[in-house]
Amino acid sequence: MENTLLVGLSRQVALRRQLDVIANNVANINTTGFKSDGPLFEEYIAPTARENNFRFADRSVRFVQDRGIWHDMTSGPIQQTSNPLDVAIDGEGFLAVQSPAGERYTRNGALQINAAGQLVTSEGMPVLGDNGPITLQPGDRNIMISKDGRVSVNEGASNSTESQRGKIRLVRFARPQDLIKEGSSTFRAPQGLAAEPVAQPKLQQGALEKSNVSGVVEMTRLIDITRTYTQIASLMQQQSDMRRNTIQQLAEVPA
Amino acid sequence: MRALHTAATGMMAQELNVQVISNNIANMRTTGYKRQRAEFQDLLYEHVRRIGTQTSDQGNQLPVGVDLGSGVKTVGTPRVMTQGSLYPTGKDLDVAIRGEGFFKIQLPDGTYAYTRDGSFEMDSQGRLVTPQGNLVQPGITIPPNASSITINQQGQVSVTVPGATQPQVLGQLVLTRFINKAGLQPIGDNLFIETPASGTPIDGVANVDGMGDLQQGNLEQANVEAVTEISDLITAQRAYEMNAKVVSATDQMLSTTTNMMR
Repeated sequence: MENTLLVGLSRQVALRRQLDVIANNVANINTTGFKSDGPLFEEYIAPTARENNFRFADRSVRFVQDRGIWHDMTSGPIQQTSNPLDVAIDGEGFLAVQSPAGERYTRNGALQINAAGQLVTSEGMPVLGDNGPITLQPGDRNIMISKDGRVSVNEGASNSTESQRGKIRLVRFARPQDLIKEGSSTFRAPQGLAAEPVAQPKLQQGALEKSNVSGVVEMTRLIDITRTYTQIASLMQQQSDMRRNTIQQLAEVPA
Repeated sequence: MRALHTAATGMMAQELNVQVISNNIANMRTTGYKRQRAEFQDLLYEHVRRIGTQTSDQGNQLPVGVDLGSGVKTVGTPRVMTQGSLYPTGKDLDVAIRGEGFFKIQLPDGTYAYTRDGSFEMDSQGRLVTPQGNLVQPGITIPPNASSITINQQGQVSVTVPGATQPQVLGQLVLTRFINKAGLQPIGDNLFIETPASGTPIDGVANVDGMGDLQQGNLEQANVEAVTEISDLITAQRAYEMNAKVVSATDQMLSTTTNMMR
């Protein structure tokens, strides 16, 4: 008797979650290196209230449940900024950064230099090279970051001598879906997922990877959610009306 | 519903973005202005179903989890310290830096500020000052009878005085650089001051050890590009609208819920 209401409720709860995910995507539509999320649903068959020995078997009741969120790991559009400290990762890979809680991974290549001369993210986490953080000297200028991540500078009086300050480490994962979002554009690798070096790193200096959230897709999903929600609500309304009628008619005591 | 607050963070972020862009556009013709850029990052995630949780005694694990994000935050508005283009003014006391370095300016309280704006003037005592009257370091006083002031690429200020055949060297302009020039704090009037993030100032002179050279009779224009700013503005406005749509959709869903009970 209550099943219609409960099935409807399970869908509504799932839709609200889905709306939360979309709201987060839209809020991050301008966030550098952001990867959009999408919800996954599964059917949940109620184990009770079932009797299969009758001639006409009871139908099992199916609820909906949100099972997971998947990260859309496709590349975002690349925007030219002509700022020498901006790097975009062309293709797969993540920058490895040193957070206070351990190594984290990001696609946000809007880098800065801190007071110690280290190459850091906007949050101040040092970007890791093959030999730890990449440190620049006070006299360095004309920072060049090559396709494979070599950071070289001009130092001293002449502009012809180049000195290398380190090589940015690009890593990839066998199962990037398993990465956990930590906020601040960073991902954490769960246990058992090891970072491997990218075979052919491709970095682009003077460019940034924008968010891969597509406004049109998110708006379409938004319409879909609000409409479905209204439909489910009216379904539950009808069920409630039906029950009210039943009660009224059955309870009518003939005079 | 969480979505309301999430969308609100998105709207606030875009509002700030528009604020930064409007300041860039307002300073399009400001000498030595360096454009700012709003940097955003995603906020914390609530892990509703943690990834990798064991779901059976046989060791099955959840391949995906439910992580709900809570919106966006502004992490900073760093300055893009690229070179602006030089435009010739023909004025003796206009100097532009081509390359690294800032002019060192003494503020009335004795502390130092730094600027890329080299539109200098002379005060009543003949001292080289900024348009606000702050002294350019090191204090250079131009004699009243001097003519044809020359500032060479190394920053040496020399004048010719009547009766002398050789130009008289008055001093050499100080240039200062920072390891993290984006970490300087702007105080208005085209001036910046040192912060813990910028590192300590490194004084020097033009054309030595990687400092830029000086161009007399030129000024450095703002590095704001109209096309970039306008396209950023359009993106910001559309993003704002979309976040507003999420708010109204959430509102609609809430009212649907309320109307379910008659």
